[in-house]
Amino acid sequence: MQVVVDSLMTRYDRGGKGKVVVLLHGWADSAAGLRTLGNALQKNYDVIALDLPGFGGTQTPKQSWGLDDYVQFVQHFLKKIDAGKVYALIGHSNGGAMAIRGLADGTLRAEKLVLLASAGIRNEYKGRNRALRILAKAGKLVTSPLPIQIKKKLRRKVYKTIGSDMLVAEHLQETFKRVVTDDVRADAAQITLPALLIYGELDEDTPVWYGRQFHELMTDSTLEILPGAGHFVHIDRPDDVQKAIKEFL
Amino acid sequence: MKKPIVAVVFGSRSTEHDISVLTALASVIKPLELSKKYTVLPVYIAKTGKWYVGDEFKKIATFQTEDLEDLLAKKQPVSLLFDNGLRLIERGRLGRDVIHCPDVVFPATHGTHGEDGELMAICEMANVPYVGCDMESSVIAMDKILAKQVAVAHHIPTAKFVSFTKIAYESGSEEWHKKINKELRYPVFVKPAHLGSSIGISRVTHKKDLANAIEVALHYDTSALVEEGVENLIEVTLPVMGNERLHPALLEEPLLKSEDFFDFDTKYMQGGKGKGKGQGMSGGQDKEAQGAQGYSRMPAELPKGLYEEAESIGLAVYRALGCSGIARIDMLIDSKAKQVYFNEVNPLPGSLYAHNWSRAGVSTVNLVEKLIKLAEERFAKKQNLTTSFSTNYLQQF
Repeated sequence: MQVVVDSLMTRYDRGGKGKVVVLLHGWADSAAGLRTLGNALQKNYDVIALDLPGFGGTQTPKQSWGLDDYVQFVQHFLKKIDAGKVYALIGHSNGGAMAIRGLADGTLRAEKLVLLASAGIRNEYKGRNRALRILAKAGKLVTSPLPIQIKKKLRRKVYKTIGSDMLVAEHLQETFKRVVTDDVRADAAQITLPALLIYGELDEDTPVWYGRQFHELMTDSTLEILPGAGHFVHIDRPDDVQKAIKEFL
Repeated sequence: MKKPIVAVVFGSRSTEHDISVLTALASVIKPLELSKKYTVLPVYIAKTGKWYVGDEFKKIATFQTEDLEDLLAKKQPVSLLFDNGLRLIERGRLGRDVIHCPDVVFPATHGTHGEDGELMAICEMANVPYVGCDMESSVIAMDKILAKQVAVAHHIPTAKFVSFTKIAYESGSEEWHKKINKELRYPVFVKPAHLGSSIGISRVTHKKDLANAIEVALHYDTSALVEEGVENLIEVTLPVMGNERLHPALLEEPLLKSEDFFDFDTKYMQGGKGKGKGQGMSGGQDKEAQGAQGYSRMPAELPKGLYEEAESIGLAVYRALGCSGIARIDMLIDSKAKQVYFNEVNPLPGSLYAHNWSRAGVSTVNLVEKLIKLAEERFAKKQNLTTSFSTNYLQQF
């Protein structure tokens, strides 16, 4: 299904009957990444899953966006489709950071929050990031005489090696830089509604200690750590994640 | 004897760029080469709009690697000349240009900037024979509003509709909503006038969702139509070939591949009911075979008399729109009322619907040969028309 929100063609899925549950996907993912979970939940809930701007079937914003822009977009989207009262927000990775920010500043409202390997702790690698920035600038200088296509390839390789998502969605580089520098721990501290936090034991992108920190900051949260699961915890352990969410909701 | 050169043009700045690559490579270039009667000149229009020629564009691998961008960056695009036929000029080193002069152009583009008449207009300017519908019929066929208006003028049944331009709608949206709510019965389908596939199409069951759906359609196009849904729907499509003497292939019934609930787009378009892919969707399954765009049943299993009725309406539409060469006519059938409605025309069907022609007894090699012959015949007839003559108007002025 499509709808125009803030002049952006937006693709979304909606199915099921019951209280409204909204799914927010992570960086470089789309609503399709949460499809199995959505399928399971739509038996009891009215599930809404959208492709966030720049991903899946939703247009890319003309300017670079920050986390707040994404949160505001979600608010406008829910209003446009007349979603009604949201019962629960479920956010994976960066979608989790969006949910935390939106609920803390009142842009989004819900009765319950589920975070799946949520991101939002951003400045723990200050030293490493500074070193990488210097490396990037030096790399730019050294490779400047090379043809543009070769430079592009080299750049892709380097970013892949250091495990950065920046070039996973190349068209959103500037947006990526803004989003991943926005820390939501202060927002998490304001969250009083019941929250379920699920993290994968083997997750390297948003490690378990992210979950522990959010759990400490939030007033009414439950933390579940799933052994053997990675960052895509809902795909690695679908049954456990679905069961935990159903019980929590 | 020198073999005629057939320029197969594909790609282009269209949302259907990738489908066009498949049509060109699998359904046009390969059978043309198998026929051993033609020299194939692949002409690839990149997403940037630049034109390229070269044998590397005959291979699917060229399009499957990330290196396509690199290849295009290294390659010189061709420039075109329109005098005395179409000339594609490849700038060579040391000023040695290679000039390609195709005898026939075989458009294999889909959607905008190709199927919509633009490529045909270039061929008309260059006065070169080209395969498939001519410029005028392509333009009409790709405009859903114009095509339906032509059908109505020829007393061909089509689902009731209301159409408007973006400017007209924006200057009085409430009035348009009232008109739609008064004249049409829900559910309705809202469609952009021009785009192919299901882009921008919404199925609306409640009045409250109408404005959002129209906004979506007008996000893609400068005009849109709202069309009454056909009940007890069976969708069928009929590929047709010919200029004056028409040759229909088999009436084909697209079937759904999946009932997966969270496959929302599918569910949404079909309105949660059994099979059928909504109103105006091409594609679908073959209990019996898989075609270019999914599964379908060939020939369609229709109640007695309806098959002939649908075939005859398909042919009438082909004639009314002035199609030639090849086209595919999509129709909607109310199975209870036994009423066939014309839906839309696809002037350059994906893969030429070779799977259907093959079932109807026309092999892919035979199909492309026949289409080239039809192009040459139409061209020869057109050459007999007087299109310019000397006057002394300017001297008198």
